Amino acid sequence: MALLRPFARTRRRGADGDRVWTWLMLPGTVWMTGFLIASLVLVAVLAVGTTDDLGNPRFGFDLSGVRALADPAYTEVLARSLGYAVLTCAVCLLIAYPVAYTIALYGGRYKHGLIAAIVVPFFANYLVRMYGWSVVLSDDGPVLRALRAVGLADGRTKILNTGVGVVAGLVYGFVVFMIIPLYAALERLDVSLIEAGRDLYGGPVRTFFFVTLPATRQGAAAGLVLVFLPAMGDFVSAQLMGGPDQIMIGNLIQDKFFQGQNWPLGSALTMLLMLVLLIGMFGYLRRTRKDEAEARR
Amino acid sequence: MSPEVPPPTRRALLRASAYGLLGAAAGGCGFMPATTPDAQQLAPVTPRVDGDLVYFNWADYVDPSVFKGFEKEYGVKVVQSNFDSMEGMVAKLNAGNRYDVLFPSATWAQRLVRGGRLRRIDHTRLPNAHAIFGTYTYFADPWYDPGSAHTVPFTAYKTGIGWRRDRIGELTGSWRDLWSDKARGKVFLLDDRDEVLGMGALELGLKVSTGNTDDLDRITSLLDTLRPRLRGFSSDSYNNLLNGDAVMTQAWSGDMAAMLNQAKDPSVFGFEAPKEGTPINSDCYAIPWNAPHPGTAMLFIDYMLRPENVKKNIEYIGYPMPVAGTEKTYADLVKPFPECLVTEDDLKAGLFFRNGDRAAEDARDTAWTHVKAG
Repeated sequence: MALLRPFARTRRRGADGDRVWTWLMLPGTVWMTGFLIASLVLVAVLAVGTTDDLGNPRFGFDLSGVRALADPAYTEVLARSLGYAVLTCAVCLLIAYPVAYTIALYGGRYKHGLIAAIVVPFFANYLVRMYGWSVVLSDDGPVLRALRAVGLADGRTKILNTGVGVVAGLVYGFVVFMIIPLYAALERLDVSLIEAGRDLYGGPVRTFFFVTLPATRQGAAAGLVLVFLPAMGDFVSAQLMGGPDQIMIGNLIQDKFFQGQNWPLGSALTMLLMLVLLIGMFGYLRRTRKDEAEARR
Repeated sequence: MSPEVPPPTRRALLRASAYGLLGAAAGGCGFMPATTPDAQQLAPVTPRVDGDLVYFNWADYVDPSVFKGFEKEYGVKVVQSNFDSMEGMVAKLNAGNRYDVLFPSATWAQRLVRGGRLRRIDHTRLPNAHAIFGTYTYFADPWYDPGSAHTVPFTAYKTGIGWRRDRIGELTGSWRDLWSDKARGKVFLLDDRDEVLGMGALELGLKVSTGNTDDLDRITSLLDTLRPRLRGFSSDSYNNLLNGDAVMTQAWSGDMAAMLNQAKDPSVFGFEAPKEGTPINSDCYAIPWNAPHPGTAMLFIDYMLRPENVKKNIEYIGYPMPVAGTEKTYADLVKPFPECLVTEDDLKAGLFFRNGDRAAEDARDTAWTHVKAG
């Protein structure tokens, strides 16, 4: 939505501005067409394709990949992924809000430094960081050894290969996507609004829930989407931090493309996952459209 | 921008992107029947320098000093690229990338041979090949490439159980050990369809790469009894043992040999090749049909087979190589784990993972999903 707005504005300014915008759209259009849409089309077409004896995917029309989706194993794993992703969103929101709030409202001249400190570790590859965690949290790793030394854990305590481990991994991996939009929203928040809330005899809690939170709702919604999408399709966390009962849909899709050499089924699973994600995305778009309409009033 | 040039309308942009889409889809022609190489592209070549070597293998699978020696001796460069899976390797090959020498596993070698993707290799033109074929007669006519007409064996390895002696003592030498109560909750299986289903098959006395649905149902029910005892599926067997997450894990012999290098005290670890049978696998050298410099590739293969280079590579990667005269190097390397050795008898037992037809592969895929997802 926001992308289209400059268009509407230049339209009024006349033909010249229109031309510039149209031409400027070209590289983006080519890029998105070539690399995103075309590959999506390939995945969609392969979902009804076949596999030859060499394990190579072939175009064709065969519904066995799509039909295999009826196997309850996939529904179960998809539901689990959905649960983990929702849980991850909730935990991220709870962690990110106070962090963003503190930095935006009390960061002062250290604001930018603090945000940089949060963002910089995310320059390192996600996979590498997760692998690092799996070593740190292993049974003979530093964390559990320290906990055992002070009597907070016994020989059976484990962090790795549990559901908690997987969600913790997802939260760690994507929490920054929640902090940044929330920070942006809180930065833009007019502090006098909070003061006004207090002047009108709202306690700190009431002011927070009736003034601050509604004013930053859009930031939170953007953060939720940004965390939900990658968390739902993630396979790294479940692979490195999970056990046999924590497999996520991303792991199954990866298996279909590699070990199973079953690209059609892998593609069909991908389309199913995208469908679920699109439903979430539509919810978000409707919400923002409503908010925009309200703001315009 | 000159005003004479009309800007594209939105419709024109849409149309252009539709063409782009078609073009990109056509670019996916790896998914269409490939062109068949002509006889000349498949004919054996003589070893001679015909350009730099374009090398394509797993990362860290050859001692870097061997590359240096080859570059120096023949005055060529080794251009290295790596793959991270057999699937990735074949995908790149199918996409039209050109390499001089590849290292497929037996299963994939068979697929490439059947697909007519490999140039024939005349062993009589490789002076050092006798050290393989003269002693390891199995490779004179392996199942994956009749007469070894397109390949030369590189490494061989098997699958067994690695465990922590210091935590659970001795094992019984059977796949049943994975069910041991001593290890409950700290057992890993390899994150590998063939290995896991193969282990179940061997435990039940079935064919190691069975695609029969009744067999697979039995295997799945058997593995269901193991699942609650598992900590996970992971192919990182040696790190899992080293950092204590696993006290027992299904493991590849080469990884266990590599672990010996990392371990402070190797005696706390053990590796057994279970008596019900151990799956076996091998990698080989191959030259793709579209290799730009097949002559240099032949020189490279022969260079790699020189005993001093074989020894260097064995010590570097921890995998045995079926080359006469290098057995002791490997035996010394894995002294604490003698069961890592791959003998001619192991090869003849034939417990290789075979390629099945489409129905068998799909059935195995479904069984694996059920084992993994529960």
